[in-house]
Amino acid sequence: MPAYHSVFLDEPNQQLVGNFALLPLRTRTRGPAQQLPPLAGVSELDIEASNESYDPLDEVLSLFRANTFFRNFEIKGPADRVLIYGILYVSEALGKIKPGMSRRDAEKAVMNTALDTNFAIPGDAGFPLNQMFEPPRDRNEAEVLRQYIMQMRQELAVRLLSRVYADPSGQPSKWWLSFQKRKFMGKAL
Amino acid sequence: MATQTPAVVMDNGTGYSKLGFAGNDSPSFVFPTAIATKGPGGGGGSAGSGRPAVGNKPSFLTGGAGPTGHLSAKRGTEDLDFFIGDEALTASAGPGYGLSYPIRHGQIENWDQMERFWSNSIFKYLRVEPEDHYFLLTEPPLNPPENRENTAEIMFESFNCAGLYIAVQAVLALAASWTSSKVQDRSLTGTVIDSGEGVTHVIPVAEGYVIGSSIKSIPIAGRDITYFVQSLLRDRGEPDSSLKTAERIKEEFCYVCPDIVKEFARFDREPEDRFKKYEVKHPNGRSVSVDVGYERFLAPEIFFNPEIYSSDFLTPLPTIVDSVIQSSPIDVRRGLYKNIVLSGGSTLYNQFGRRLQRDIRHLVDARIAASEVRAGNAAKSGGLDVQVITHRRQRHGPWFGGSLLGQTPEFRSYCHTKAEYDEIGPSIVRKFALLGGPGST
Repeated sequence: MPAYHSVFLDEPNQQLVGNFALLPLRTRTRGPAQQLPPLAGVSELDIEASNESYDPLDEVLSLFRANTFFRNFEIKGPADRVLIYGILYVSEALGKIKPGMSRRDAEKAVMNTALDTNFAIPGDAGFPLNQMFEPPRDRNEAEVLRQYIMQMRQELAVRLLSRVYADPSGQPSKWWLSFQKRKFMGKAL
Repeated sequence: MATQTPAVVMDNGTGYSKLGFAGNDSPSFVFPTAIATKGPGGGGGSAGSGRPAVGNKPSFLTGGAGPTGHLSAKRGTEDLDFFIGDEALTASAGPGYGLSYPIRHGQIENWDQMERFWSNSIFKYLRVEPEDHYFLLTEPPLNPPENRENTAEIMFESFNCAGLYIAVQAVLALAASWTSSKVQDRSLTGTVIDSGEGVTHVIPVAEGYVIGSSIKSIPIAGRDITYFVQSLLRDRGEPDSSLKTAERIKEEFCYVCPDIVKEFARFDREPEDRFKKYEVKHPNGRSVSVDVGYERFLAPEIFFNPEIYSSDFLTPLPTIVDSVIQSSPIDVRRGLYKNIVLSGGSTLYNQFGRRLQRDIRHLVDARIAASEVRAGNAAKSGGLDVQVITHRRQRHGPWFGGSLLGQTPEFRSYCHTKAEYDEIGPSIVRKFALLGGPGST
């Protein structure tokens, strides 16, 4: 059984930029992503893939720990690229949290990376996965993609923090921090 | 016939030797197959050097005057100054003794040391007179007949044992599974998955005969699981991440889960239930507490997803088992799928058998479905029964199988006796009648 793939691979009517899918997200940050309804009656930990509010970012966080153990990953479609980017970003954000850091300091450090507009998107020279991601066709598409990824990054940062700081003690979870050094597919953003 | 003395059953493995008497429930002694001799590395690869023994011919083949001459060079009492088993490990920790492991990859590499190991096993541990007992020894699959002859020479000429039978470990492991309630017919056809400390073998056996060309081995076994646990402990910066701690955690807490993503989610939802603590007691009286988390299910997962641990070996165990059976003769495949038997310490994880059975069944069902489609749905398959047998004797499977067969009344008639050996010579042990085979019970 190899690494886990996205459940959104068969989603109909995907909006694509290059070969990256712009899937609907459950987020209140502004951007090009279609909005999903907010959670109703379930917590982030219990949400099932069949729930209408389930979005690719829920999937990223639930697959992150399993998939970081794998070095090989066969991309089966545009939705898998969303998954890859998400997992790599979670790795990056997790790396900013130091053991014993207070929640406020960690929020500052992680949101800094999330709000930074100066990140590489597919097609840029600094993007590590250009072999598997097609560049956007024109300036417009690139701008849409950048804003979509920005949305992903901000929402992921918030959800990751609430998981790492789930414990009422205010200390980051050592179980999450133990994944800092693992690199999914041997890559880092 | 007067009451017979019970047969002695000895299963010498790469890691551990299991000694005891036929008819017993469990071996009387289980200790490392290690010998500590005087001097550094005592005539073989020294402890930890990883080198095979220098002169690994039996002393009687070098004519007692070979350049290596271990025993012949020192005809004093030095050759009596040695320890085996746990005592060997203790002795080698002190000065003056070197530790060697005479068995490597299941086969005897240093006959001189093995002879001394056996003599201590018989006289110091089991305390029996070999003249009075029949012996049942084990050998790995594909053991060369020359090794059997060497063994017979030692057993008959050095120890004068009354009779000898050498059985293949995989066949004995099959016999041990007869204690399971899932086994209805006591057949000697099945696939044995033998996973110990160093290596995991998948061995197909048809009616008591090992199908040698289809055996596959996997470089993932107990030791790798321990290393993986250790690496996870280190990633987390636990206060104690020694190999010993990792091994204890592996043995006490690990289990096989149906799906790792779901298991991660379960740990999130029920943290009190899932996360454990392990107390490490140091010899100086202090103790530290180590948290035990995801390694509980991740460690045995390397059998099913080797990729998470190793970068060069990537084939999961269920796939290997399936391909072993597919490469066996077509008329025995059904029996091989129906009777997949586990053996060895690394198969003891909770739910191991269930997961293996499920994964193999998926592979088989997928192949049947594909072939039905290729046949244009003209022919329907009746399905194929996949069954993995988990039983209570798994840990010392081969030894227990030996104990089971060694207590049968006809066991002695299958052995070669000292008289036969004297008449024909070592070549007599090249062949043994199949013990426990058709018509014997």
